[in-house]
Amino acid sequence: MANTAIHKATRRSLLDRYGYEERSAVLFLAPVMLVLMSVAVFPILYSFYLSFFRMKLTRPNNQPFIWFENYSDLLTNELFWVSVSRTVVFTLISVSAIAVIALLVALLLNQEFKGRRVLSTIILIPWAIPYVANALMWKWIYDSGYGALNGALYQLDFIDKYMVWLGDQDKTLPLIANAFVWKEVPLAAILLLVSLKAIPADLYQAARVDGATVWQRFIHITLPAMKPGFMLVMIYETMMAIRHFDLFFILTEGGPGDASHVLSWHIYVETFRNLSFGSGAAMSYLLALATFALSYFFIRTLGRRI
Amino acid sequence: MSTRKMVHLGRRDFLRTSAAAGAMALAGPARMAMAQGAPLTMHTWSAAVDTVQSHLNAFQEETGIQVNYGNSPWAQYREGMVTKFVGGAPLDMMWVSDSWLPEWVEAGWIAPIDDFDFLMKYNAEAEDFSTDSMTYKGRQYGLTYYTDYMAFFYDEEKVKEAGFDAPPTTWEEVVEQSLVMKEKGISEYPMMLAMAQESWLIEFMSSLVFSHGGHFTDDNGDSVMQNADGGAVQALQWVVDAVNKHGIISPACVETGELSGLKAFASGNHAFAMVAKYRLRMLNDPEQSQIAGRVKQAMMPMGPDGDHSTVGWMRFHGMSSQAAQDPKRAEDTARLIEWFGGKANGEYKFQKLLFLDIGAGFGVKPLFDDPDIQAAYDQYGDVEIIKAQQAIARKKDVITPWFGEWNEANGTAWQQAILGNSDVASALAKSGETWDELKSEY
Repeated sequence: MANTAIHKATRRSLLDRYGYEERSAVLFLAPVMLVLMSVAVFPILYSFYLSFFRMKLTRPNNQPFIWFENYSDLLTNELFWVSVSRTVVFTLISVSAIAVIALLVALLLNQEFKGRRVLSTIILIPWAIPYVANALMWKWIYDSGYGALNGALYQLDFIDKYMVWLGDQDKTLPLIANAFVWKEVPLAAILLLVSLKAIPADLYQAARVDGATVWQRFIHITLPAMKPGFMLVMIYETMMAIRHFDLFFILTEGGPGDASHVLSWHIYVETFRNLSFGSGAAMSYLLALATFALSYFFIRTLGRRI
Repeated sequence: MSTRKMVHLGRRDFLRTSAAAGAMALAGPARMAMAQGAPLTMHTWSAAVDTVQSHLNAFQEETGIQVNYGNSPWAQYREGMVTKFVGGAPLDMMWVSDSWLPEWVEAGWIAPIDDFDFLMKYNAEAEDFSTDSMTYKGRQYGLTYYTDYMAFFYDEEKVKEAGFDAPPTTWEEVVEQSLVMKEKGISEYPMMLAMAQESWLIEFMSSLVFSHGGHFTDDNGDSVMQNADGGAVQALQWVVDAVNKHGIISPACVETGELSGLKAFASGNHAFAMVAKYRLRMLNDPEQSQIAGRVKQAMMPMGPDGDHSTVGWMRFHGMSSQAAQDPKRAEDTARLIEWFGGKANGEYKFQKLLFLDIGAGFGVKPLFDDPDIQAAYDQYGDVEIIKAQQAIARKKDVITPWFGEWNEANGTAWQQAILGNSDVASALAKSGETWDELKSEY
């Protein structure tokens, strides 16, 4: 009896504490929260759980719990480290090229000239192309037998015979990075352009009055004011580059040899070809960790003086 | 102790249960329907869909057994099927590649069919490598859907233009004739070899190794690919020299897939090509090939210690373990397998339909004597050569539960040697090492 009374009292106090509107909100949000929990939160936690098992779909009767062995195995896996180094190179090439080209494009689009709107629209086209379509297009361009790149260079007398592009291991990563940059520059340029537009014109006028040259105005006004934009671009593009998969899948499948065997490709092979969900999950978590770490680094370094 | 054991088992149980639970939620209704003698379920990859459907309709009319037919693209087929198996989705008959046979058997997903005498009688008329390719640990797991082998084709006009009366019979002669063609400007890269990392790669490599008298593994399944006198070393050395020393194969071969290579050959860029035999029809079709009428088949060239052997492969109709558990369902599934892989109303109808429809190879010898098939072959090939090469085709010697994983590493090792990143011996040593590691794990 006493317990029932306490229970009723507690219930009443909860009902008193949360009004009708709050309780309605909880009720209406519950279905969405339930969906989110089941399609987002649960898979994330479950994949983390899987990373502690030697779980291979093709061996359903032998899936032992192995604690952190999937993680420690990676540290001694030669191909994993190859994939890490390829990812770092690809990311460095891509992100630095995107930052520089996007800055130039943003500076150009920030000027008033005839046809600026048309040019802005044209520049946005690569961004509007789906990733897979972009990859297929570049596959045709780079093809060593009938590719447009060979055709153009040959017609212009830059080469005397058709070249091997993606099949040449020294060219593979830069060429894939080029395709990635082409697709990513428009968005980066728009983000930087927004930062440029936000710079008050009177800052430039004051600098001119003080006798600052164009270069000085760029270094001391434009660049510092663009830091928020740059931070956004660096974080977003670094994450995109590290996790990028489509171009590697369609253009080279990690080859030739292991020349484009990046981390995302390694995870794909391990998870979906070898069907090793345990080690695939472990690698995915390491990749996520690396992405978080880099984002944190950019926020700390670029965000400090904003 | 007992607590630890309980925790350990609990995790495993949770893992299994939760993996199965999701799939059960999806498959539950279908599973219930299966138990009630509902239609059979047949799943294939998306090839000759209309032919399959019309042949299936005939089966349903003939037997009154209802069948639900589904298909999915080849590129995702294995992964999709594994997910179905793990999730317990309803499945009775499916197409199986010889490459997946051990993996699927060891996982307990497919069942042998050799208890059905009316299916086993077809072995008497089947090519040996076809039956071998459907057999694992002494049990047979299906009947032929389509079978083929790696063939050596040449452009007759280019060979004659180079001053040769006959195609090469050895790999050395391939180099010799190719160098003359290069010198005369007939072709920059006379030999087409597709060495991109894709599912065809193992077939190209196996043909080269077999024709050099080599093996990847011995009778005990131990790696011999790294042995200096094993034939694999000679085969890879031939490819490396052909690319880097003689320049008769394009360095782009490492990015050339089977389909791209085929198109390049059909465009007249090369004089020799190694592709699946069924491609001969397309190569001699004027609507699809610029060298139509000029493409002939020769026996696979041989290495110094080899012969004209090539690799054959098999895709077959298999029965799921699910179906095998219910005698009535198993019987119906076996009849469905016979309708497609054996005779339907007294003839090998489906294999013949596939051949006439898309040129797919068949694994039963009597079809070589079928007038319709002979008439079709006469239009674009030499049935005697086709028959002779098929008779000495051999199954791949690397088909094991760990084949998929090893194949990735082996493909990379071959490419590394071709690219000059490692020497032939080191590349194959690495491949052999990976094989041994995986074998010990399983």
